[in-house]
Amino acid sequence: MAKILVVEDEKPINDLITMNLKLVGHEFLKSFDGSSALSVLEREEVDLILLDVMLPGLDGYEVMRRIRHLNVPVIFITAKDSLADRITGFELGADDYIIKPFEILEMLARIHVALRRSTKEQAGWSLDGVEVRLAERQVYKHGQAVELTAREFELLEVLIQNRNIALSREKLLELAWGYDFEGETRTVDVHIRQLRRKLGWEDRIKTIFKLGYRLEVQGES
Amino acid sequence: MRFWQKTLLVVMILFIVALDLSVGMIMNKSWQLNRQREVQRSDNELALIANNIYENLNSIKSRGMVVGDNVLLDVARSYAEYYRRQKIDLQLWDRGQRIYGRGGAAAGNETGDRAGQEGHQIERSSKLPAPYDHLILVYSRSIEDLYASQRELNRYIVFIQLIAGPLLAAALYMLIRQITRPLRQLSRTTQTIAEGKYGERVALKNKDEFGELAQHFNQMASAVESHVVDLSVMAEEKQRIVDNLAHELRTPLTSMQGFAQYLNAAHIGEEERITASGYIWSETMRLKNLVFKLLDLSTLRRQSIEMTCIQVDELFESVRLMEQGNLEQARIHLFMHTSTANVWGDPDLLASYLVNCIDNAIHASHEDSEIRLLAYEQDAQVVLEVRDFGRGMSPKQVKQAFEPFYRADPARSREHGGAGLGLSICRQIAEAHQAKLLLESEENRGTRMRIFLQLHNNEVHT
Repeated sequence: MAKILVVEDEKPINDLITMNLKLVGHEFLKSFDGSSALSVLEREEVDLILLDVMLPGLDGYEVMRRIRHLNVPVIFITAKDSLADRITGFELGADDYIIKPFEILEMLARIHVALRRSTKEQAGWSLDGVEVRLAERQVYKHGQAVELTAREFELLEVLIQNRNIALSREKLLELAWGYDFEGETRTVDVHIRQLRRKLGWEDRIKTIFKLGYRLEVQGES
Repeated sequence: MRFWQKTLLVVMILFIVALDLSVGMIMNKSWQLNRQREVQRSDNELALIANNIYENLNSIKSRGMVVGDNVLLDVARSYAEYYRRQKIDLQLWDRGQRIYGRGGAAAGNETGDRAGQEGHQIERSSKLPAPYDHLILVYSRSIEDLYASQRELNRYIVFIQLIAGPLLAAALYMLIRQITRPLRQLSRTTQTIAEGKYGERVALKNKDEFGELAQHFNQMASAVESHVVDLSVMAEEKQRIVDNLAHELRTPLTSMQGFAQYLNAAHIGEEERITASGYIWSETMRLKNLVFKLLDLSTLRRQSIEMTCIQVDELFESVRLMEQGNLEQARIHLFMHTSTANVWGDPDLLASYLVNCIDNAIHASHEDSEIRLLAYEQDAQVVLEVRDFGRGMSPKQVKQAFEPFYRADPARSREHGGAGLGLSICRQIAEAHQAKLLLESEENRGTRMRIFLQLHNNEVHT
């Protein structure tokens, strides 16, 4: 998956972000202030930067000004949610803006969107002999094409993006069917059953008590 | 209509009416006088002619001749022809019968102007003395000259008005513009201020009412300006406090929410579980501390304190005990010295004050440096002084230091210090003691914090 630089001076939040990135299979680099972030960027090439605005030394806006030429997508993370601050961020060329406190799923979704926009999202992904080609929207099992309905594929994509994280049935409906879908959560159960059967993932897609479903992938990164 | 236009118009109208009225009256009077003079002259001449005719008739009579119509006609004719050369017409009437002359029927002793074909005339008549009093002599003379000169005078007055009017208008215009200039200046300045440029002032040095008005106006503008500046400074401070509070609340909340979610939903091992729950624990403590400090601040603001006599030695010792751990961790030596025994105050609050000061001093100090905690008397007050030799603050930082949530570090990182409420609490404690608080700091030289407390209990016990 993608390589992401996290620039955040609050250690707990930095850890929170990187632990979740690790969970869904992203690589990450940690940085606790602006100038060290700049030196990391001199050495390494990254796909995305999560940048806190209030940083010791150089602040996030200043860092942004200095790295704009790299053309790396940047998502600002900040506790300031005034309109003026948001406009400053977007004017500097930020791709998105996450306000503290944020939901992990929301952060992952925004990262996903930003990566897809810059076509840094991985084209394919495989597990247990099942190959998922995201760009072609095709799934192969041991070289054999698997017939999935459009909705089943959407659901599979959501599960892969948020792997190792339990998603409630409501969340899955929202992410795979869209906000305005007025279906029952039982619809999700039906589709999950189909996916498990077609891909042979009865042990991969776990039912989590009281929560929902989770695609479990051990030791991927 | 503008003020200057109104003034100009009214003054012009008044002036022209007054001028016309007075000139008209003078002309009228002079016309009357001239005419009176003409009438007088006519009367005199008439009397002279009548007398001459009488003399003539008398001498004719004394020569024994009968004064008949023919004689009268001859006499009248000779006189009339003589006077015609002087543009005087004479008529002679006998008992209502015209004997000689042309003209109207005016007979009798009366005066009149007649505008005939020959123009304006004065006509006078008079009876001849007795015994010829049946004869009436009528005298008429043209006064066209008089009218002509009157007309000439009228024309001249109109001419003068045509010249004087514009001249006066121009002079008035200049005068009024000059007088109303301060008004325009005031108006312009008011407009500029209304547009938000509160620094604008009226530059008017007049010693008159306008100067006074300008002076008062400037005073008002200054008052408004200082209020506006105060308000914007207050608004800025408020915004900063809100921003900082938001940061202080959002940061731990983000971690707590995120890690709770992580524990709840993620597929993780034991190590991650311990890390995540540890963060939830530590961030909860951080939030708890913040909430307690905020509560302290608000209770301090509302509650009055109970003053007791405190042994300074004991106070210092308890503070040293509380700070021992922090001091050892930072490898900083605390030097204590007291030259006064007692102080009046609330022991818990004063201890809290000193702990806050020493915490700040520790964060500002370098390893192996010293912090001094001193108590001494000065001007009948007890001074408690906390002094460090650390990195100090710039004058701008000193100015904002007492603001709630203010942190010299713009990123507000957690490595040093708490939420930035320490000095706000110190200030509240000082206010509760009605004590003066003095913060002196120099960059890279250190900071000196002094509180001036009562030596004796000044409160009157009831």
